[in-house]
Amino acid sequence: MTKYRYVAPATVDEGLEILRQGGGKVRIAAGCTNLLPDMRAKELADCVLMDISGLGELRGVDADGGSIRIGALTTIDEMLHSPLLEQEAVALWRACRQFADPLVRNRATVGGNLANGSPAADSAVPLLALDASATVASRAAGKREVPLCELWRGPYQTAIAADELITAITFPRDAARRSWFIKNGLRRAMAISLITVATAVKQDGCVVTGARVALGAVGPTPLRARRTEEYLQGRAIDAATLAEAAEIVRGEISPISDLRASKEYRTHLAGVLLRRALEAVRA
Amino acid sequence: MEFKQQVAIKVTVNGADIRAAVAPEESLLDFLRKQCGVTDVKCGCGMGECGTCTLVLAGKVVKSCLVLAAQADGREVWTLQGLERDPLAARLQDSFARHGAVQCGFCTPGMLIAARGFLQRSPQPTRAEIREALSGNLCRCTGYQKIVDAVWAVAYGDAAEQERA
Repeated sequence: MTKYRYVAPATVDEGLEILRQGGGKVRIAAGCTNLLPDMRAKELADCVLMDISGLGELRGVDADGGSIRIGALTTIDEMLHSPLLEQEAVALWRACRQFADPLVRNRATVGGNLANGSPAADSAVPLLALDASATVASRAAGKREVPLCELWRGPYQTAIAADELITAITFPRDAARRSWFIKNGLRRAMAISLITVATAVKQDGCVVTGARVALGAVGPTPLRARRTEEYLQGRAIDAATLAEAAEIVRGEISPISDLRASKEYRTHLAGVLLRRALEAVRA
Repeated sequence: MEFKQQVAIKVTVNGADIRAAVAPEESLLDFLRKQCGVTDVKCGCGMGECGTCTLVLAGKVVKSCLVLAAQADGREVWTLQGLERDPLAARLQDSFARHGAVQCGFCTPGMLIAARGFLQRSPQPTRAEIREALSGNLCRCTGYQKIVDAVWAVAYGDAAEQERA
């Protein structure tokens, strides 16, 4: 007899009620690109699979006043084919282009990628640089906005409670912002990132008036490089700035050595990719 | 709400309506192979890495080991054997044969489905785009060159193929 049970809510409200009743035993099934391998590899404990893939209300990319809103069930492929994201969120669009492979992109959802909590999640890094927040809903507390820089607590650990569901991702629109994303993996498809870097920079002439730098797979969670950001403020992105920024970012990360790369290699690469990601957004 | 231990589904597989009961955790791949006898979807890794289980679900090309069978409820599934009369699939199959893009053949059904979905969307691709489109499908025999040649020839015809050579 199977140890899993299955339920497919017809609405978000119904889903939140199931999460409330579930007492932590509910696993959310959306694109299932992480869930099915997890179930196969780890034999997850007795749980209810709550299939939210039919909730159309959680799908789509819209410009909503001054911000862009992406429904949590929007697939990576749908994001890749959004002209709005291609024009206004280049870092995110570029991350979608390099995400897993074209077939997985047809299933994997942005909400699932963030909620899974991998330090190497490819949508997390550009969204951090774009200053995004997750809209999280629950029966008990209604809706709350969680800035992505507060979403992750450790590898595969998030600030999302067991009775909560990510319903959308939002970030501010900003025509003056230029953003970029670089991924380094061992092959082009289906490679877990060795390291990812995203930059989002505003400049007045050639002087940086606001910079956000995010990195993935170089610490327990996707992270913002705050000291590098502060250093860039008020400077021109020239050779000296690039060299110094690369040094600073190497001090802000704590990569591990694993079978994909050594700590030293990842540390070196962080500086190299940051330089490239800053050169790409230079005015 | 009821938490089910068996999920009743109705799926159209290669044009035939199928009603069945599946386990909550059962993948679409396992359901097709074990309950429907649709064995052209191959099980390679079962973890989403190799693409041998590629099929078309609700118009999207996906890896069926990464889909719950329950999620196919009310949807249409097409595997290669159901696309026998599809002109594009037929041209691809013929081209694969002529270019020797087949050795053991295990990856071929998934490769053909992925190539067909790609050419429908991008009828005039570059070779780099073909490689990218097939990057989710592993082949451990051919080295990919002949597969890319076969897809290229369908897009541009054999004349273009000879010109390139």
